Amino acid sequence: MTIRHQIELEGFSFIVAGAIFGVFFAVYLNRAPKIRSSFVIPAIQNSQEPTPALSLSPTQAPTFIPKIETSSQISPDGTKKLTMTSTTNRNGSITYAFTTSEADDTNKNSIYSVTLSPPENITIPFNTWSPDNAYVFLVQSGGSENSALVMRANGQTLPDGQQFDNVTELFTAKNTGSIYQETTGWASETLLIINTKNQDGSKGSSYWFEVPTKAIILLSTQF
Amino acid sequence: MRKKSASHKIRTKGKNRSGKFLIRFSLFLFGSIVSFTTASAVLHLNQAQPTCANSQSCKSDLSTRIENNMPGVFEGRIVYPPRIDTSININESPVLGANTNSGAKHIYVDLSKQTLYAFQGQTQVFKTLISSGRWAPTPVGNFHIWEKLIATRMTGGEGASAYDLPNVPYVMYFYNDFGLHGAYWHDNFGHTMSHGCVNMRTVDAKTLYDWADGPTNTTLGTAVSICDSLTDSHQCVQNNSIN
Repeated sequence: MTIRHQIELEGFSFIVAGAIFGVFFAVYLNRAPKIRSSFVIPAIQNSQEPTPALSLSPTQAPTFIPKIETSSQISPDGTKKLTMTSTTNRNGSITYAFTTSEADDTNKNSIYSVTLSPPENITIPFNTWSPDNAYVFLVQSGGSENSALVMRANGQTLPDGQQFDNVTELFTAKNTGSIYQETTGWASETLLIINTKNQDGSKGSSYWFEVPTKAIILLSTQF
Repeated sequence: MRKKSASHKIRTKGKNRSGKFLIRFSLFLFGSIVSFTTASAVLHLNQAQPTCANSQSCKSDLSTRIENNMPGVFEGRIVYPPRIDTSININESPVLGANTNSGAKHIYVDLSKQTLYAFQGQTQVFKTLISSGRWAPTPVGNFHIWEKLIATRMTGGEGASAYDLPNVPYVMYFYNDFGLHGAYWHDNFGHTMSHGCVNMRTVDAKTLYDWADGPTNTTLGTAVSICDSLTDSHQCVQNNSIN
């Protein structure tokens, strides 16, 4: 074997060895990710028992998150605030809780709470506060008729010991001949204004409801 | 000749009589037209331009009057006005539109919806329910605030509807003594309840008072438009504008 043949044989061996190493390296790199994931994924994939945190058992009830909404109305002089918090219950009913406070939310008084099933609901009207901030009235609607409920703003009971007066019921009980329509607001510190309609649907007379005496007073003008 | 002159005299007499009749008739006709025009003008002015919202105080005094601890009367009932504290610095209260783009200020009152809107430029900065005239109409038209008073006394009305109200707060007169102001004696906003003024809750009147401008030596006060209705595109509909 000449020196030339020896060099050619060594060169060819190097090329073949390099090619084999290259193929092996390429195969190794291509398989590397699969090899890595195979160590991680089976921990989840092979487990036939999912962790409780990741699954919902068919028999387990969904977690109930109550929906809570608030609304409020400032008094005409800007010093007091009436706040309504409505909380949706698991059975679909809604609990309405009313509190009065100073305008800056201090000195809170819980004055009334009621649970109603939709479509019945209760709202705070724009004119809810009496001019002297002694009373508030609420409007309950969605039922057979709209009702105005008047109560003391400090949470104390009315002179007759009741928590509130249902203006609509008291008016209807008077049998004035007119049909109660709405309570619009306060004519003075103790007088609520009631609008009515006639039996034929036309606009009826207006009345005052005096809170301390529960008197119904017919007015000469229509509001 | 005699016959001719006699007939001439008769014709002349006839002409004189008919001439006098025509003159008298013309004078009578002219007088009637003048009387009718004057009467119509007076009636029109009386009906279309109410000059007073508060029939007594509009003549006696339209200046600032603070009378703490003085009861008032409204609808035959005693009312107790709020104390007006002059030590409060009005400039410290938040001002509407302070962070909005500058622009002309304009107050619109929609009588049909009993709602007041305040605009600065194209931006609505305030909206609230009001009470306009029940016992007398609120004048429809375009005005400017001509006087701002922190409080004053308003008196007027007759019989059962007579009233005497001290410490009426945050008064902004826009036409004679017709003004925008707070009303502490009722809370029936969204329904007519006044003698011609525009009532608001005291808290709303203060907000508007702090924002609106009175007149200066060189500028008019904030514009006030009283509208029969206001369209969605803020077009003020005035069917019986007094100006």
